[in-house]
Amino acid sequence: MGRYVIRRLGQMIVVLFGATVVLFCTLFILPGDPVGSLGGDKARDPAVVAELRERYGLNDPLPVQYGNFVKNLAQGDLGEDFTQRRPVTEILQPKLVNTAKLAIAAIIIDIVIGVLAGLIAALFRYSFWDVLITLLTTFAVGFPSFVIGMVLQKFFVVDLGLFPLISDGTLNSMILPAFTLAILDAALVARLMRGTMLEVLRADYVKTAVAKGLPRRTVLLKHVMRNSIIPVVTYLGISFGTLLGGALITEAIFNWDGIGLALVQAVQQQNNPIIIGVVTFGVAVFVLLNLIVDLLYAVLDPRIRLA
Amino acid sequence: MRGAKSAKWVVGAIVVALAATACGGGNDNKGSDAKGGGVFRMGITEPTAIDPVNAQESEGMVIARALFTQLYDVSVDGKLIPKLAESGTSADGKTWIFKIKSGTKFTNGEVVDAEAFIRGWTRVAAKASASDVSYHMAGIKGYDALKGGKSDKFAGLSAPDANTLKVELDKADFEFDKKTAHAAFSPVPKVAGAGDNKKFNDAPIGNGAFKMKGSWNHNQSISLVRNDDYGLEKAKLDGVEFKILNPANGSQLEYTGFQSGEFDYARMPTPQLPVAKAKFEPQGEWYSADFSGINYLVVFNQNAPFNNPDARKAISYAIDREAIAKSVFQGMQKPATAFLPPSFSAEYQAGVCSTCVKQDKAKAKEFAAKGGLKPGTVVNFGYNTGAGHEEWVQAVAQQLKDVLGVEVKLDGKPFKEALATQQEKKTSGLWRSAWTADYPTADNFLAPLLSTAGIGEDPATGKAQGDNRSRYSNPKFDELLDQARQEKDAAKRAELYKQAEKLAIDTDQAVVPLWQRTQYRLVNTKKFDGIKMDFFEDPTLAEISLKK
Repeated sequence: MGRYVIRRLGQMIVVLFGATVVLFCTLFILPGDPVGSLGGDKARDPAVVAELRERYGLNDPLPVQYGNFVKNLAQGDLGEDFTQRRPVTEILQPKLVNTAKLAIAAIIIDIVIGVLAGLIAALFRYSFWDVLITLLTTFAVGFPSFVIGMVLQKFFVVDLGLFPLISDGTLNSMILPAFTLAILDAALVARLMRGTMLEVLRADYVKTAVAKGLPRRTVLLKHVMRNSIIPVVTYLGISFGTLLGGALITEAIFNWDGIGLALVQAVQQQNNPIIIGVVTFGVAVFVLLNLIVDLLYAVLDPRIRLA
Repeated sequence: MRGAKSAKWVVGAIVVALAATACGGGNDNKGSDAKGGGVFRMGITEPTAIDPVNAQESEGMVIARALFTQLYDVSVDGKLIPKLAESGTSADGKTWIFKIKSGTKFTNGEVVDAEAFIRGWTRVAAKASASDVSYHMAGIKGYDALKGGKSDKFAGLSAPDANTLKVELDKADFEFDKKTAHAAFSPVPKVAGAGDNKKFNDAPIGNGAFKMKGSWNHNQSISLVRNDDYGLEKAKLDGVEFKILNPANGSQLEYTGFQSGEFDYARMPTPQLPVAKAKFEPQGEWYSADFSGINYLVVFNQNAPFNNPDARKAISYAIDREAIAKSVFQGMQKPATAFLPPSFSAEYQAGVCSTCVKQDKAKAKEFAAKGGLKPGTVVNFGYNTGAGHEEWVQAVAQQLKDVLGVEVKLDGKPFKEALATQQEKKTSGLWRSAWTADYPTADNFLAPLLSTAGIGEDPATGKAQGDNRSRYSNPKFDELLDQARQEKDAAKRAELYKQAEKLAIDTDQAVVPLWQRTQYRLVNTKKFDGIKMDFFEDPTLAEISLKK
């Protein structure tokens, strides 16, 4: 197990290396000078362009720029951004915290609502509740998140005044964006849960457990739940990684200062240090989460051996 | 990644917002507790800087100008309003003497004198500051040495006594005083230090009507409170609260926030302007003003097919500005018939662009034939994507196709790529562009956009580094500008600028003017009096007061 983890972490470094090299090359061949202009139609003073190109080492050949990046990265330094000229780590840190907060809130909602709804639907198959849940999840999957977000905002913020429009990081201002973000995944988790549970309920080992006369609770918790949760864990693992990559639409609608918007904006402005910072972080998180999910498999299903 | 699901969704979101917010009725401006002078609340996007050393866009400027007071302020119609300047005079246009009001202080107690101005201006122009606004000082003696790092003193600035600022220019400029209204020309206290002093950048100490309450809370908020020791007429508001909004959804958030009572001042997404107007104009909360700007087409003058004025005139005649203003802009844009804005009352000549006044299909075809713009000619038409230009650019392209039979190739590019293409020597065709004035002078339009010096061609790469990307070059025009700058008499000077504009726009059709610059806002007149917008398109914070 320990060796497995070490090997996977080693792989992670290779993945990070590959991702940043590809990113660097891509950014390098993009047309347009990243410090060549201001935000509007006005040209930038050539003296300023020269000064900034010099300051940020943009005149160096690509391998030198990459070498400097790796050297600085090893010291936890991602450089300065091209617009405000503040350290990238300082700019990204609050955004990462915000994104993580929202992702965790969303994943909790996914687990609670999704798993519970799936469980009820599967246990009371074809009942009123099952039909209702199927219907609701269809709606949730069908509506794009921006529609849900804007309708929630219109109703709860403008009409009822229950939540602030401009979020200030408090729990209260997190509720609407977290729900908007979670709704789609919660619906998918519910369906996944229902499907696998129905399958597991028909499995021989469950019949055996019931035949042995085990109490219903034990059968459900120890045999059914534990076995049906594996696909859900896989799904949530991937989903959490995606959530940590930022949620552009939800962030835009609720003015949530996360990394999704930061990345889009940085791409539009060719603010390369920010792009590199966000992507490097994103790759690291994704690889780590995959590892955690793989380790969880082993915990949930003793037949799975990690080596 | 979810984040990469394309910005189209955001645009879609805005469209849906139209439907979502149009169907509700509830609008009560709750506001914060109204005691004392009141707090004025508005949304902005994250500025590049709020320190005058690099404050550049409207969002940074509104804060820099609230924190700092310069020699002059400018009204929306381009009139200079003396602030710290008791007088500003020049006999020859080259040496300027500004008498500075004595006895005013920075909020840390330091005195605002001529030295403070020299300190501030030097800080902007210093090499290490790499400031984007320093070029406004390019006419002052010693600028190149300072900007190039060869000196750390601004040779052209001196203080004969504590309250006299002497400015020497390289060339005569009888409108230099108007430039000094820009925030870059602010005085700064000694604690400001160098341009990259991060602490000062985020919490500047100024001499303005307001001061910072705490530091800039990046991407969250900026709070200002009234400066009770202000040396000029004090502000009435207790403070101003800026919420920082994301640019992807900023105007929508401002509009929604105005309706939910969280903002006292708001922009609106363009598609919602008519609905908002219908709703808020009867309540006296709708504000509109014309600003010193122009929307126009760059026409690449040095490459076929537009290397002759007739072909350029054909384009201008073929465009129906009225129709597009009515349809695409829903009546919220006014067609331009001149290049200079109406706010420059001394120089404005309505209809000076005779090809702009009305669409004329017959004349368009006639000029096209004269200018060799045959049907089937490929016309490249570039624009920057993601800024909402798509719809009207397509409408213009369709009109050109219909009237002239040319084959218009639309070329949408992300911003920086678009700029790089415009700068290339071989680029041909048309490009959408816009310009807003930095200070209220005709020169600020004509020189950068139309003069030969404005091209700024890099000898090594052939790139146009300046703003004259049309690469229009006419020695007669350059000569007229030179004469105008050296003309002391304001009326004669205006006459010269008028001649210059007529030559470039009417005779040579260097560019194709399209629409004027009009802005719309929602303002909370139920709670506040005196909300107006200034020349820089920001609210005049120091004049707003709580309704009694």
